[in-house]
Amino acid sequence: MLALPAAIDRLAAARRWRYRASDESAAEPAAWAALALAAAGDAASAARPAEWLAGIQQPSGAVGVSASQDDPRWPTSLAMLAWATLDRLAGNARFASCIGAAAQWSLADRGRAARQSEHIGHNTELVGWSWAADTHSWLEPTCMFVLGLRAAGFDRRPRVQEGVRLIVDRLLPDGGANYGNTIVLGRPLVPHLQPTGLAVLTLAGQQQRDARIEKSLNYLARTVSGDTAAASLAFACLGLAAHGRLPLQAAAWIEAALDGERRPPTSEYERALLVLAAQPVDRWLPAASHTHSAATVNEDS
Amino acid sequence: MATPLPPGRNAAQRIGRRAVLLAGGLAAVGAAGWRLARGAAPRRASVFIARSQRYDSDLVKTISDGLAACGLKAEHLRGKRVLLKPNLVEPNRAIPHMTTHPAVILAAAEAFRRYGARVTVGEAPGHVRDTELALDESGVGEALRDGELQFADLNYQDVAWRPNAGRISPLKGLFLPRAVVEADYVVSMPKLKTHHWVGVTASMKNLYGVLPGIKYGWPKNVLHHAGIPETVADICSTVPRALAIIDAIDCMEGDGPILGSIKPMGLLLIGANLPAVDATAARIMGLEPARVSYLKLAHGRLGPLDERMISQRGERWPSVASPFKMLPYAHLQQLRADSGSPPA
Repeated sequence: MLALPAAIDRLAAARRWRYRASDESAAEPAAWAALALAAAGDAASAARPAEWLAGIQQPSGAVGVSASQDDPRWPTSLAMLAWATLDRLAGNARFASCIGAAAQWSLADRGRAARQSEHIGHNTELVGWSWAADTHSWLEPTCMFVLGLRAAGFDRRPRVQEGVRLIVDRLLPDGGANYGNTIVLGRPLVPHLQPTGLAVLTLAGQQQRDARIEKSLNYLARTVSGDTAAASLAFACLGLAAHGRLPLQAAAWIEAALDGERRPPTSEYERALLVLAAQPVDRWLPAASHTHSAATVNEDS
Repeated sequence: MATPLPPGRNAAQRIGRRAVLLAGGLAAVGAAGWRLARGAAPRRASVFIARSQRYDSDLVKTISDGLAACGLKAEHLRGKRVLLKPNLVEPNRAIPHMTTHPAVILAAAEAFRRYGARVTVGEAPGHVRDTELALDESGVGEALRDGELQFADLNYQDVAWRPNAGRISPLKGLFLPRAVVEADYVVSMPKLKTHHWVGVTASMKNLYGVLPGIKYGWPKNVLHHAGIPETVADICSTVPRALAIIDAIDCMEGDGPILGSIKPMGLLLIGANLPAVDATAARIMGLEPARVSYLKLAHGRLGPLDERMISQRGERWPSVASPFKMLPYAHLQQLRADSGSPPA
């Protein structure tokens, strides 16, 4: 069990937070790195990517996808989540102004609704958040904004509540989530681990009783394995952990992924996700009511 | 499939504006051989069809023969950067006929390497943010390791903005990943499939997958809102020199491009003019190319659809045609060559 401490050290030492394919820092990897380091107890190192995010925050309060790309601005959600989490864990208001501006921008930003179509299974009139400006609301950005706004204390806002309804609406009839469509031309689509993990992570502690949530957890539990690719593994474990359903082997899977037993997590993005998934989820996500870390698992799940 | 709205945009109403084409250039090959056309659509093009192909047969030879038959010579490729762009839209081990088969990718890579080209494989999966998962599920990741091929994750690469050379959609420009901008040739390598919104997806529609999710989202909803046929034509106008190698060995019919049924055809289609290749593919599928919205937009701008302007190499398309099942919706059934409707 040496890979996790080494990964935390490498993440703490990083000065750029990148996707695997890119040379420049990007907002999403930076936000996950800040969260992972904060959850791992390294507040000083967590502050570095958080400060970098503050540095690229735009006057509007939004945060673009990377150092060079101001648009689209969906990572505003994750920056807000990171800043709010760091402040809460540190018991200070270091990022308060960043959070306020980001929340204001986020609450004004709206995915495009569409008239209901007989060909489309999901409720196209619900308003959540989109990947890019002036496009339809999609599952994953809506999850990220709900997480961010809840962390920032806006969980009772109607926009956030509608976002939660959208997430439930986008779950597939037999559980799991596709990238966002559910039924097209009468056929249910195929679930995937990453959007499903993110969706159930977001729904943890939300008092939602829809049967598709349980089915989604079952889908995650029977599908994720040690062979799962790093990001999907991390999101699946985060979602399961938030509901107290983390499999016994999860810690070993994450350790192996960090160790490069199959393939090394060569980017800060994947390393951050795996480190975060290895931490007790209630350390950084207070809404999760039933939490287990990858290190303290529940065999009954 | 990704847009929540079925296609209803009347492309013809919005393309009366002058379309300035081919600033990026498309390769045009006629009977006279290989030449590059910049600023004008080729009037003629060649398309090579090989039949009786299997994933374990000598696909390197077939692809090499096809490229040569379309006029491609070593001098065009020696030392050049070639980006192979398969279709890995939403890979799933249970639906291997959804994505380009790894054997075809490896064979194409070998064929281009033998020409002295530097080959990279790149894709921006349209529905899956976890590209590593897409490579695992499709089997392409393992093939790339076996073939010692570099992979460019086009969803997350650094991007460059290029003016929209097609100007058919309202988009003023397109963000393209570094690997696309730097490529001397982009080889569109789709799986031949039906598509439940636009009828058919082949080499032109496959180029949606060169645009980065980091700018356009998952799905690439910016493009859907700008019009699927219009943006397909715009991307094909803007991407640097493009070639097509279509995996039509095991195809998909019915509810494509994700959930359709397997349709074994045993074909490879190769060409240097994407509309001509796709028009030929549509004919093989039993569709009228001029009724396919994005092909209609491409006609005369990017290449020929007219059978008389397409030189058939290898097999002739009528000898390999086998109508694909289409979902029973009017917008799809009217694409059929035997529907009785006049071409749109």
